[in-house]
Amino acid sequence: MTDNTLALQRCVMDLFLDEKGAAAFAADACAFGAERGLDEPDQAALNRFKPRLLTYRNLIRFALEDPLPDCFPILQTLLEKADLWDACVDAFLASRFIQSSYYRDIHPAFVAWLASSGWGQDTWPFLLQLAHFEYIEVEILRWPDEPPLEGLASVPAADLQVVFDGTARNLAYAFAVHQATKENPEPDAGETFLLGYRDADGDFMVSELSAHASAFLARCLEGDRIGKAASALDLDHIEALELLGDLRDKGAILGFR
Amino acid sequence: MNPFTGVGVGLRRPHLEQVAALTESPVPFWEIAPENVVGQGGSRHRQVMKILERDPVITHGLSMSMGGFDEWERDVLDNLRGFLTTTRSPWHSEHLCWTSYGGATTHELLPMPFTRESVSHTVARARQMQAELPVPFLFENVSYYAELGAAEMSEKQFFAEVLEGADCGWLLDINNLYVNSRNHGFDAKEWLEGMPLQRVQQMHIAGHTWFEEDQLIIDTHGAAVIDPVIELMAWVLPRIGRPVPVLLERDTDIPTLEELLAERESIQKAYDAAFAPVPILGVGALRD
Ligand SMILES: [Fe+2]
Repeated sequence: MTDNTLALQRCVMDLFLDEKGAAAFAADACAFGAERGLDEPDQAALNRFKPRLLTYRNLIRFALEDPLPDCFPILQTLLEKADLWDACVDAFLASRFIQSSYYRDIHPAFVAWLASSGWGQDTWPFLLQLAHFEYIEVEILRWPDEPPLEGLASVPAADLQVVFDGTARNLAYAFAVHQATKENPEPDAGETFLLGYRDADGDFMVSELSAHASAFLARCLEGDRIGKAASALDLDHIEALELLGDLRDKGAILGFR
Repeated sequence: MNPFTGVGVGLRRPHLEQVAALTESPVPFWEIAPENVVGQGGSRHRQVMKILERDPVITHGLSMSMGGFDEWERDVLDNLRGFLTTTRSPWHSEHLCWTSYGGATTHELLPMPFTRESVSHTVARARQMQAELPVPFLFENVSYYAELGAAEMSEKQFFAEVLEGADCGWLLDINNLYVNSRNHGFDAKEWLEGMPLQRVQQMHIAGHTWFEEDQLIIDTHGAAVIDPVIELMAWVLPRIGRPVPVLLERDTDIPTLEELLAERESIQKAYDAAFAPVPILGVGALRD
């Protein structure tokens, strides 16, 4: 029998994560417990520890919000200017999208929640894409290292495949998200193609690409041979090889095979 | 020599570069949370791994929700097992608390109901966890600010019954005990009386913060350890009767490495003094 322990945990989660739940709890802790199926002694205990349980709510909010500004500094600046950052965090916590036991997964959970809820995107249609790009930097910086690969060619050729660094991300946005700053957090609309990766020093790098270059790299990422990928897109083979050579020098590409 | 004795320090991000550059460990051992390390990469991660390969380490978990109901994530358990093997941690500890419900995680150490039902639930979960891990499992006593539901027993009785039922080790957090004694108005030494000190394998020591507004001490790990907590550590060590490792925790307002090592040093002195033989009074007088 674990019904009571379970009921208590379920009950206080509504107080801890939902703004409306917290308001209802603060107004009448016994009724809050009764509505959630707790018996009278448990309701009375909730009431007795009311301020302390609200302290837990604050601690949880602090723990879950704390990692966000480091990852989403531009988005946070934008929403703080509009006085909506707290409302955004409230809605995020109430969504219960934070599920992983890894603390670092709060970041992708925030992006997933924005994608699923559409929060704020009527006002700022770029919000999700900005958040995604801000998260990608963090993801790339901590992406697991891979053991070095032997026997790769250092010069690209038409009959070879490209071996990308594990951190390489071929990105397409409808806004110039990479140009947004804390001072100027609203990116201009416009098709934007980027390649994000980690360089040899471990730093985050991003290269702007043309639509054609992005499509070419997408085919290479899927495993097409370089010549086949370039021909399929009617690309100049020499230019394609130059692009790959340049990305190899920068560290986005490990080599060719 | 057994490295797992004396006073160790929690390995923290701001110190990684400096510690990785050293040729030998500045502490007897480090403590680290596997969930903050596994599945990562990049330059900071490489620094962590360099330190963990070089120095002794004890692992300590934060988010297994031992008293919760959600099933453990398979990949998280697999990663944990791998990490424990790689680091050769002598045991693995988790808090006696819950952190998640219905799939949603709070990343906060939430109190269990102090009831018989809650004891048997937590014991069953602990036994499952012990069966999963390649090393012994320890429960840590947490700071609690509220009781969850109507209590059928004291927190002391609850903790002791879970330890006995799960037949596992104890990570005695001396600061958590102190914080609880102040917040709930009991005597920490009395609390320790009759507790199964033979189960203590490790201790935690940390600083805390008084919040005037809430009239509450919060276990922030954001300040230096205060003297009464160090004295409590020194009082309990001879009663445990073994030089169990003590870990200095610091998670917020993290000082420089030099400051943290100086604090470690002063706690180490109290630790050593706790095991020093008591001088026989009156010897000087006999010589006169
Ligand atoms: Fe602790």
